[in-house]
Amino acid sequence: MRPRLEVRDPIHGFIYREPDERDIMDTAVFQRLRRLRQLALANLVYPGATHSRFGHSLGAFHLAGKIATALGVDETERRLVRLAALLHDVGHGPFSHVTEPILKKHSDAKKLGPDIKEAKIHELISWHIIKSSPELSKLISDRQREQVIGLLKGTWGHSYLQEIVSGPIDADKQDYLLRDSVFSGVKYGVYDQERLSNTLLIHEDNDDLFLGISIDGIHALEQFVLAKYYMTTQVYRHKIRLITDSMIERAIDLGIEEDKIDWLKSLYSYDGSDAYIEEYLTWSDDRLVNEISRKGARKGYAKELFERLYNRRLFKCILDVDQNDFPDPNIRNFVFGDSKEFFKPLEKAVADHFKWERNHVIAYKISFDSAAKTESEIPVIRRTKTTLFHDESALFKSVDQKIREQRFHIYAPMKYEDEKHKMKSAREFKNVILEMIAKLADRQAKLPLEGGEHK
Amino acid sequence: MNASQFVLSLIHACGGRVQGRTLLQKTGYFVSLLTGLPVDLRYNAHFYGPYSATMDGTVTQLKNLGFVEEASTGFGIVSGGFEVRRFDYCLTDDGKRICDPILKTPEYKAIADAVQKIQNAGHPDYMELSIAAKAFYILNKQGKRMTAQELLSEAEKFNWNISEHSLSRAVDFLKLVGVATS
Repeated sequence: MRPRLEVRDPIHGFIYREPDERDIMDTAVFQRLRRLRQLALANLVYPGATHSRFGHSLGAFHLAGKIATALGVDETERRLVRLAALLHDVGHGPFSHVTEPILKKHSDAKKLGPDIKEAKIHELISWHIIKSSPELSKLISDRQREQVIGLLKGTWGHSYLQEIVSGPIDADKQDYLLRDSVFSGVKYGVYDQERLSNTLLIHEDNDDLFLGISIDGIHALEQFVLAKYYMTTQVYRHKIRLITDSMIERAIDLGIEEDKIDWLKSLYSYDGSDAYIEEYLTWSDDRLVNEISRKGARKGYAKELFERLYNRRLFKCILDVDQNDFPDPNIRNFVFGDSKEFFKPLEKAVADHFKWERNHVIAYKISFDSAAKTESEIPVIRRTKTTLFHDESALFKSVDQKIREQRFHIYAPMKYEDEKHKMKSAREFKNVILEMIAKLADRQAKLPLEGGEHK
Repeated sequence: MNASQFVLSLIHACGGRVQGRTLLQKTGYFVSLLTGLPVDLRYNAHFYGPYSATMDGTVTQLKNLGFVEEASTGFGIVSGGFEVRRFDYCLTDDGKRICDPILKTPEYKAIADAVQKIQNAGHPDYMELSIAAKAFYILNKQGKRMTAQELLSEAEKFNWNISEHSLSRAVDFLKLVGVATS
């Protein structure tokens, strides 16, 4: 009997793997994930949150296999589902999701083709790496790599197989809620994972098979939905974390646009080439910070902002408002509507008024939907009929109101002397900035309606 | 025109009130087809017919901003112990104010004309409009002429149960609004 290969994981205990899976985990492409933090600089809020995408990918791999086994998936497909979960994050760059808008801004949309409309850039990079990595090519056949990419893209395999790796209750979310909760030291991401996995079922439609859940698992699913909601409000959208994320994004953006750091621009200009991927794979969170902040590096905005982050001299939230702060519907629509075009002129006006460096004022809009939005369509299977989660869950049925929480923030390099000074400043900031917003909205109202031509 | 302006215009053109989530979705589906406005609503096949998550999200946003009001009406307990509810949407006074500048645009006129066309075709309720939307969704996806029998069997693949009688009424509706030919 051959020995079992195992890895001890703080969330799931022992994770078992086959020799070829171990070899894939040992590639440089996968090992790089050790150097990407799962939650960027959330450790400036929750000191324990220094865990990596490596651990998360192992967890997703383990859970994908566990779900596949519970559903009775055959060995060939189970292997593909596990591989897809294992490799789903290999395309992340330094600071993962935080820098996605920069990648989107500088990547070559024409060269990337229609996929750019349907997927995030880091996903396109993941598919590219899986397809073209020489290391992975030696360990996974061409056909299987195509199938793995197809599972991630949603173009290969039955729907339920795709939903194990990418869907409302996929192995990715099932892992990161538990993992981020433990490493952040909060209890919000906890749910009954065993019960959830073991009550998942395949729901047969006429020509496809979907992932559904037995009526017996409805409370585990409710728990999962609440866990996702609480983790979003308490960890992923924590107010200090929003500041660190926006400072990282601004630092990199200014490094490219103002400091003219060539290598930084190249790093965020994905063009679909193998040469780009080869260089991209050499980058990690720490390398990016070191290259920007090291002694002798070009002085400029990026260096200054990363030094602030490094020493936790964070910007302060000087304005935090929601729709109720704007009684005039036109201004409310201006702030919380689809456009962000007023951000730059507002940042400039605020910086000039309060005498801050213009690029150090950041406008930020936050929006997230109430719980159970994406999960509401999950089929719930009873012996005699199939319904949908939002029809079946007594808990979510009783609050069947879809609510979108939206807030508008301004961050700036403000220093408060004491709590009294903070309170006094807050009132002044609010009065001055709301007036500035009203003027910008008035100017906007005089322009013609936005949008494309009527065909 | 963006998605918010489209939804506000749609509700306004329907008289400022739409009764039911399904009716709003399906009316939006046909209005976007009839007007050809470049609003990216991304309709997908869904249990209740073509469905746009973008439109759903936009309605949620408009509610949050106080431009649209959602009222829920209960229709009693059905088997299984659950209550059937209908969600109606109407423009608030603030919503009407936001609509004002849009009403003067050619895009609004196109939307109002399309709504009028749908109403002239027999003022269909949410169920009739759903069936018509399902039938058109299939025809559009297939991109070819189909017999009633072929249409019914395609509908089954989406788990959509449509009777021949309903289908015939749906096809009549599609002809009347001008998105299908005999």
